[in-house]
Amino acid sequence: MHFVVCAKQILDPDTPPSAFKIDEAKNEVIPAPGIAPVLSQFDGIAAEAALRIKEKIGDVKITVISLGKGSAQAAIKQVLAMGADEGLLLEDDAFENGDHYTTALVLSEAIKKLGDVDAVFCGRQAADWDMGQVGLGISQLLDIPCAIIGKNVDVSDNKMTVERVLLDGIETVEMALPAVVTVSNELGEPRYPKLQQIMQAAKKTVTKWNLDDLENLNKTDVGEAGRKLKLEKLFIPDNDSDVEFIEGENAQEKANNLVAKLREAKIL
Amino acid sequence: MNQSKKILSSLLFIFDKFWMLGLFILTFFSLILSGLLLGFGIEGSSATREIFFNVEPWPIYVLLSTLTGLLLFGILRHGSLWFIGKPVKDLKVNLPWRLNNAVKLGVMQDKIRRDTYASVMHWCITASIIVLTFVTAQVALEDDTPLHFLHGNYYLFFSFYGDLFGLIGVVGISMALYRRYFVNFHRIRWDERLEDHLILWGLFFVLVSGFFVESFRISITELDSYPSWARWSFVSFTLAVFVDLFNFSDKLLSNMHVFSWWSHVLLVFSWLTLIVFTKLDHFIFAPINAFLLRTDSPGRLSKIENIEEQEVFGVGQIQDFNWKQLFELDACVRCGRCTEVCPANIAGQPLSPMHLIQDLKAHFNETAPLVQEAGNNGKDVRAVAKRSMVGDVIKEEALWACRTCGACVQECPVMIEHVPTIVDMRRFLVMDKAKIPATAQAALENLEQRGHPWKGTTLERTTWMEGLGDVPIFDGSQEYLYWVGCSGSLVERNLPITKSVFGLLKAAGSSFGVLGQEETCNGDPARRLGNEYLYQILAEQLINTFKERNVQKVITNCPHCFNTFKNEYPQFDGKFEVLHHTQFLDESIKSGKLKPVKSIDADVTYHDSCYLGRINNEYDAPREVLNSIPGLNIIEMDRNKSKGLCCGAGGGNMWQEEIGTRRVNHVRSEEAIDTGASELVSNCPFCIQMFEDGVPAVESEEEGRIKPFDIAEVLYRSIDSSSEEN
Repeated sequence: MHFVVCAKQILDPDTPPSAFKIDEAKNEVIPAPGIAPVLSQFDGIAAEAALRIKEKIGDVKITVISLGKGSAQAAIKQVLAMGADEGLLLEDDAFENGDHYTTALVLSEAIKKLGDVDAVFCGRQAADWDMGQVGLGISQLLDIPCAIIGKNVDVSDNKMTVERVLLDGIETVEMALPAVVTVSNELGEPRYPKLQQIMQAAKKTVTKWNLDDLENLNKTDVGEAGRKLKLEKLFIPDNDSDVEFIEGENAQEKANNLVAKLREAKIL
Repeated sequence: MNQSKKILSSLLFIFDKFWMLGLFILTFFSLILSGLLLGFGIEGSSATREIFFNVEPWPIYVLLSTLTGLLLFGILRHGSLWFIGKPVKDLKVNLPWRLNNAVKLGVMQDKIRRDTYASVMHWCITASIIVLTFVTAQVALEDDTPLHFLHGNYYLFFSFYGDLFGLIGVVGISMALYRRYFVNFHRIRWDERLEDHLILWGLFFVLVSGFFVESFRISITELDSYPSWARWSFVSFTLAVFVDLFNFSDKLLSNMHVFSWWSHVLLVFSWLTLIVFTKLDHFIFAPINAFLLRTDSPGRLSKIENIEEQEVFGVGQIQDFNWKQLFELDACVRCGRCTEVCPANIAGQPLSPMHLIQDLKAHFNETAPLVQEAGNNGKDVRAVAKRSMVGDVIKEEALWACRTCGACVQECPVMIEHVPTIVDMRRFLVMDKAKIPATAQAALENLEQRGHPWKGTTLERTTWMEGLGDVPIFDGSQEYLYWVGCSGSLVERNLPITKSVFGLLKAAGSSFGVLGQEETCNGDPARRLGNEYLYQILAEQLINTFKERNVQKVITNCPHCFNTFKNEYPQFDGKFEVLHHTQFLDESIKSGKLKPVKSIDADVTYHDSCYLGRINNEYDAPREVLNSIPGLNIIEMDRNKSKGLCCGAGGGNMWQEEIGTRRVNHVRSEEAIDTGASELVSNCPFCIQMFEDGVPAVESEEEGRIKPFDIAEVLYRSIDSSSEEN
């Protein structure tokens, strides 16, 4: 079997608020100096899901794909160290500044070109823009089924079973392969790589494909030119919060005063 | 009353410090004197005795050669197993250091002195065995060689000290028996075995039977004819007088003598045979282990050279240890001192250093012969162990509970080093098996990803500088690099410490700069948590930065950073002069650059961090800084200095969930509260964080609760310039 894990490198979500800056004129985040980009946490969990199945059924090749600049290799290497077999970086200036649609388009073309893919694992959403669209987009463009926000994923008998997290419970769905799944954090933490694997991953070469390698795509389909989504305004909201200590002689009076305040603010 | 108490306590102190030396001097003095007397051949009397009166000496020689053979065979057979281990790296000869340790720690038993009762007891026994062996050897020389010296005054003196040291031995053994049977002395019962009783009672009967042999001989040959000679053997003489009361016939006495002589000889040799089979072997192994003691700092963990080419990372099987680590297992006597002082054990957490060593020893005894055999037959040595050592024999949670605080190493009377052994197994878990507690894993991932262990911090490395005006960045022109460290800059609580150190450095007029955003973790948490690979990457990276910036001298307010720079970076060719801020402050006060003038009328207690105190032996500088503050009074906790208890954070436990009945920081916070002090002063940002967390957990009353401070914060309050700058 052949699994694909889609991995995105994002700006570190743990960037201290004071270091997080935005260029409002360009509608861009200014990367904080000295803070390296990281693998989107949900994609690490998607890799974990794929690896667990590989451990269970054996004979699975896992290819990790990332769309991004050269530095995204670090994200690929990280998933390789966890135990993935091959890495593929989709790198072209034309791919830059795309949106969820162009990303799904380029990824789906790459998956098509790989040919024999049985299952695609994505994170439930990228931890930067939090759209949650790319997995669904890939399934749409490849015309295969998709289950989102899976907490447990299993593959057997040419079927994928996904336990989905719903607001009011768990739903179990079954899809014929090939299929796409987007994986949620309920699945568990991504594994800590063994040193042997880190060193093997360091030695592996990551295949690189650019626009010319994907025959069905033109320059106007991808990146900024192919965007379907226009970003109107990027800004850091003002988050003001006030603290008020509720006065009162005793606990009961304090509680009464608190209730009065909450009613006043129309919260109760 | 008070006066007499004082005299008593000073007498006790002198006794505690010097009594062993006194005993030694006495022993040597008596031996030298005996030599002199022998030399001059003083003919004061014709006193002598017929050696081996009534019995034949030959059985002794048969037994002695059997014993020697058995001992040699045992040691050679067992000793060959140590060398299934790896070679010891960086083994320095340094003979003066080694001989000094062998004498000081091995023969003089310096570490045993940390328990006064045990030291008296143990020395009585040791001295008695040594002197009585010497006595026996003289008897053999007299009888079986042409040398003849057991006559005259020397014979009388010989009789005297033979009896004296026999008595000393009985006193020692009685103390041991008392401790084992009549008081609830827990640590020797944690792993009590039959051999513990055999050894004690065996020696007791050896000594007592010796006295009986002597007293029967005296009854027969000396009591009536030469009573003035007999009195020199004062113990046996008394016994003989007592025996005489029964008016036994000569024939009976003679038979009793033969019987007791044989019993004595058989007891002696049976007892000595225990060396081969029991912990009694420590009187060979302990001095050797002292001789083999490391020549470098106990704060240094071993470097894995060419880490990328290793087949196994860390120690996963018994043969992955080095031979010194395997040898150490054999020296353990199960005295329990390590476990008694282990912070994890004190808090009811799943680690007992003694049991860890004993479990490894049992595993070694079971597995090493198989490994050796497989090695000799060219088979796979990694396939022979019946149980997996890490995880099965030694539980993972035991390895993770270790604080690397070094208390066990400090106490061990046979110089076992538990900490490197534990970290070696952690290395296996982390690097080879990728098994690590989730929260520690998060810290390690954060180190890899962000260069600091504080996942989720909202601070930057420069946040502490806000409001301080111009903070100089180190560019190689200043004398000192002030190393703030991750904890000093990224943890809210510690910012006031960093600001105080900065203020004090300025007030002392020193030339210094900081690295600001360019600081990255020096790797200590990774190394202690067992990720040597990550440690080496971080260390090499930072050493390069230091060299590029031409750093020569470093001041740091974190004892963990201090230890890493001072003791571990030289392994990577990073040699810098390193000062802990308390050392710098102490120097600055002594040279008059800092003047604590404002009085702080407070009782404070001082907590020695493990990595400044026990591991780097700096107990005085911080105390002198505190003592220089007018009005300030230090109340020591019961556990202080080298006996200080860890705050609980060491060994990467800052980032782990604790398993067990209590938390170590709660225990230590209670000890601080019990002093009645108003401030709990330490020298380590981790300790401060642990106490900020621990004190409110055990002291519910907010009013008057003891407050944790770093020494720099306290001193800064006492410096005049502080008022202007705040």
